[in-house]
Amino acid sequence: MSLLRYCIRRIFFALPILFGITLVTFILFHLVGGDPAFLIAGKNASLERVASIRSELGLDRSLLQQYISFVKQTVTFDWGRSWSSQERVMDMFWRGLGPSLSLALPAFLISFLISLGIALLSSYYRGQCFDRGVLIACLALMSFSYLVYIILFQYLFAYKMGLFPITGWDPSWSGRWQYLILPWMISVTVSIGPGVLIYRTAILDESLQGYVRTARAKGLKDTAVYSQHILKNALVPILTIVIMQMPLMITGSLLLESFFGIPGVGGLLIQAIQNADFPVIKAMTVIGSIFYMLFNLLSDLVLTAVDPRIELK
Amino acid sequence: MKVLGILVVIMVSLVSCTKKSQVNDDTIYGVIDANIKGLDPIQAADNYMIKAVSQIYEGLYHYHYLKRPLQLEPQLAESLPTISPDGLTYTIKIKKGVYFQDHEAFPARKGRELTAHDFIYSWKRLADASHKATGWWVFDGRIQGLNEWRQELSQGKVNYDSPISGLTAKDKYTLEIKLTKAFPLFEIMLALPPTFAVAREVVEKTGNEFLNHPVGTGPFLLKEWIRNSKIVLEANPNYRTELYPNEGEDVDRELSRLEDAGKKLPLAKKVVIQIMPERQPMWLSFARGELDHAIIPKDNYSQVFNGKTLREDIRKKGIQILNQPRPDVTFIGINMEHPILGKNKYLRQAMAMAINNQISIDTFYNGRGIPAQSPLPPGFRGYKKSYKKPYDFDLQRAQSYMIKAGFPDGKGLPTFRFELTNASSWSRQMGEFLQQQWAQIGIKIKLIPNNWPQFDKKLKSRQAEIFFMAWTADYPDSENFLQLFFSKNISPGPNNFNFVNRDYDQMYEKMSLLSPSPERLALIRKMVQLVNEEVPAIFLLHRVFRLPYQGWLRNYKEYPGINDFYQYLRIDLERKSKLKPKL
Repeated sequence: MSLLRYCIRRIFFALPILFGITLVTFILFHLVGGDPAFLIAGKNASLERVASIRSELGLDRSLLQQYISFVKQTVTFDWGRSWSSQERVMDMFWRGLGPSLSLALPAFLISFLISLGIALLSSYYRGQCFDRGVLIACLALMSFSYLVYIILFQYLFAYKMGLFPITGWDPSWSGRWQYLILPWMISVTVSIGPGVLIYRTAILDESLQGYVRTARAKGLKDTAVYSQHILKNALVPILTIVIMQMPLMITGSLLLESFFGIPGVGGLLIQAIQNADFPVIKAMTVIGSIFYMLFNLLSDLVLTAVDPRIELK
Repeated sequence: MKVLGILVVIMVSLVSCTKKSQVNDDTIYGVIDANIKGLDPIQAADNYMIKAVSQIYEGLYHYHYLKRPLQLEPQLAESLPTISPDGLTYTIKIKKGVYFQDHEAFPARKGRELTAHDFIYSWKRLADASHKATGWWVFDGRIQGLNEWRQELSQGKVNYDSPISGLTAKDKYTLEIKLTKAFPLFEIMLALPPTFAVAREVVEKTGNEFLNHPVGTGPFLLKEWIRNSKIVLEANPNYRTELYPNEGEDVDRELSRLEDAGKKLPLAKKVVIQIMPERQPMWLSFARGELDHAIIPKDNYSQVFNGKTLREDIRKKGIQILNQPRPDVTFIGINMEHPILGKNKYLRQAMAMAINNQISIDTFYNGRGIPAQSPLPPGFRGYKKSYKKPYDFDLQRAQSYMIKAGFPDGKGLPTFRFELTNASSWSRQMGEFLQQQWAQIGIKIKLIPNNWPQFDKKLKSRQAEIFFMAWTADYPDSENFLQLFFSKNISPGPNNFNFVNRDYDQMYEKMSLLSPSPERLALIRKMVQLVNEEVPAIFLLHRVFRLPYQGWLRNYKEYPGINDFYQYLRIDLERKSKLKPKL
C-alpha cells in the first residue's frame, strides 16, 4: 500500500473518532459543566439577565442545533471567542504554544538523551552495582510527586541559592531562557526515572535475543553489538513511546506553567473548565485529540522507516 | 560536560543580571493572585479585574485613599452630585481638562478631552445586552429609559445615537441623570468600575479586541500585558494634576503616610503587576524582595508570625504588616426552599448553636478573623461591637432546640447535602469540621465536592441544600449585605438562601429609599435582628487580612473599594538599598 493511500485511509478512519470526541465533550459539558450564563451574570444576577446572556451565547437553542454548530466549528477550526475573556480561541492557543513549546521541547530532548544514555549503560551493566543503583535512583525519583519537585527546586535553587529567577517571563527569545532553565531541570528530573526504566526494559528485551548472541559469537565488539543491533531494534518501542508523548508537549504543563508564570497553553483547559468557557473547552479537546491522532499516524510511519519488517496495512 | 559548562556560565551570568536589575529600581512590583480575563471596565466583576482596570480607567467618584470608613470623593466629577429634592435627578459637573491617553483612534494619535457624552456612551455600552456585561446590575432598572433602550437595541430599533430620557449631556461638562425611583446610594454606584469612562473612538477602532487595548484617563497607561504573566503600567503623561491627600487617620501620620501630601500623582513612574495564582512563588518572590507587597500563604504563616506578633527575624528585614479587616462576611447558607430545613426554625437555630466558631477561625484562618454576629462587618452602619447574635455556640441549648424542632438527637432527619465550593483540601476540611460539629446534635451531612461552575449552578438553580460562602462588599453600605435576604433577589440573584419574609422586605424597601439617618439605622438593626432570629444563614466571621509589604514601599494602604491605590505608592530608594541586602 502506498504511503499516501495509507495516510488518507488513516485520516478517514480518524473522522468517526473525532465525531465521537465532539459528542462526548458536548454531553459531558451539558451534564457536569455548570451554567456559563450564571457565571457570566455574576453574583448579582437576575433571571432577565441570565436569559439575555443565554440568548447571546446561543444556549437557548435546542441541543441538536448547538451540537451542529460545534461540529461546524470543528470543521472550520473556528471556535469563535472565549466566553470568559472574549479573545479569539485560536489566538489564545497560538499565543500560548510558543511558551509551552519553549518549556517542553528542550526539556523533552534533554530528558530523552539523558534517559537513553543511562538506560544503555544500565542495561550494559545489568545486574551489577551500577544497574542496581540506577534502578533504586529511578524508583526514588518516581516516588515524589511533580509538585514536590517544583516546590523544592523553586525554594532551593531560586530562592535560597538565587541561581534563577523564582518566576517570570520575557516574551523575547533572548530573554526567556533565564526563566526556563529551572522548569527544564524539574521536568527532566521528573521524567528521567520512568524514561530510564522504560528504555532499559526495551534495550534489555533486545539484548537477550538470539541474534545478539550470534553477533557476539561472530566476535563483534560490544559497542558494535549495541549500536548496530540492540539499539536499532530497541528503537521500535522507544520511538513509539517518544512520539506518543509529543502531543503532551503541545497541550502544555499546567503545574510548571502556573508556578513559573509561563504564559503557555497548559492552564487554558483547566481555566476554561473553571469558567465553564465552552468554546475553549471545545477547541482544546479537539486540538488535543487531533494532535494525538496525528502523532499516532506519525509513529506508524516512522516505525516502518526504522523497521523494514513492519508493513503499512 | 561541555553542555554542562555552558549551562553553568549562563546561570552565573543570569544571576548577576537579575541582581543588578533590582538595585536603584524605583518601579513598584505588585501582585495579583489570579489570571486577568480582560481590561474592559464593564466586565470588571472580580477583585482582580477591578484592581487592574482601576489603574487605567476612572469613574466620576472614588474613595479617599487614607480615610476610614471609606469616604466618597470626586474623581472625574468636579464635586459630589447636586440631587433634586425628590431624589430623582442627579446633576454632575465633570472636570475640565481631563484627557484620554494617546491612541491611534484619536486624531493625530493625541488623546482628546473627556466630556459628559463619554459617560453617556460608556453607560449605553454597559447596557448593551450583546456585551453580556457582568456589571450591568449597577444600573439595571435604575435610570429612566435605559432598560427600554437596552431592549430596543437588542431588537435593532435604536442605536447608540438614540437619546435616553434619563441620560442627558446638558453641555460638554454637565451630566444629568434621572432615576426611575429615588436611590440614595446611586452616587456610590458611580464609583464602581463598570461605570468608568471609555472613549467611543477606541472601542470602535479596536472592536472585539478592546479588552486588550485599554485607553482611559487614569494615572497609568498600559505598556505591556503578557496574559497569565504580568501587566506593566507606566505613568500617563496626559494625566491631569491630582495631588496626594493631605488628610488621613492618626495611624497614617504615625506610619509617615502623609509625608507625600500635596505631591503630584502618580508618585511612581512604573508599576509591574505580576500575575501569580500560586502562593508559593508569590511568597518566595516577596521574601527575596522581588515583590513589594504580597499575601501570606496559610502554610507560611508561622514563618512570619509568632502567634499574633511579627517574628523578630522578619521585623529586622524591615517587612511591615498591614492589618486589614475585610468588609466581608463568611457564612453557612441554608436553602429556605428545602422542605425540612426551610420550614423548621428551631432546627436552623440548633444548627447555628452547634458550631464552635472560634475553633473554625483558629483552625482555618490562623486566628485572623472577627467572629460575625450579623452579616454586617465592622465599620458598616448598623454594626455594633456589643451586639451578640441570639443563637451562638451553646451545645446544650442546641440539643434542647433539636427536641423543640421535633428531631431529638437528629432522629427522623435525613442526611443533608453540604455543597463544597471547590475540591481544595481547605474546603473539604472545613466541610469535615462542620460534619463533626453537627454530628454532636445528631445532624448528618454528606459532603458534595464541586468545581466552581457546578457549585454556582446548584446555588443559582436553588438545588444547594447547605453551603459555605463569603460575601465581600461591592460598595461600603450595609444595604449591600442586607440585600442578600431581600425576596426579589432570590437565586439566581444574591439571595441564595431563597429567604422570603414579608416584614423583612417591607423594611428593606423602606430602608433603601432612606439616606443615612437614625430612622435608617433603626431599620437596619431590626432587619439584622430578624435575620438572626430566622437563621437563613449562620454567620461565621469577618476576615482580617495581614498583608506583608517591604519596608521601602511607602504609603501602602490597600483596601477593598480603593482599587486605584498604585498611584499613591512609591519606592524609598534609600531604605531599599539598606533593606534589600538583608533579604
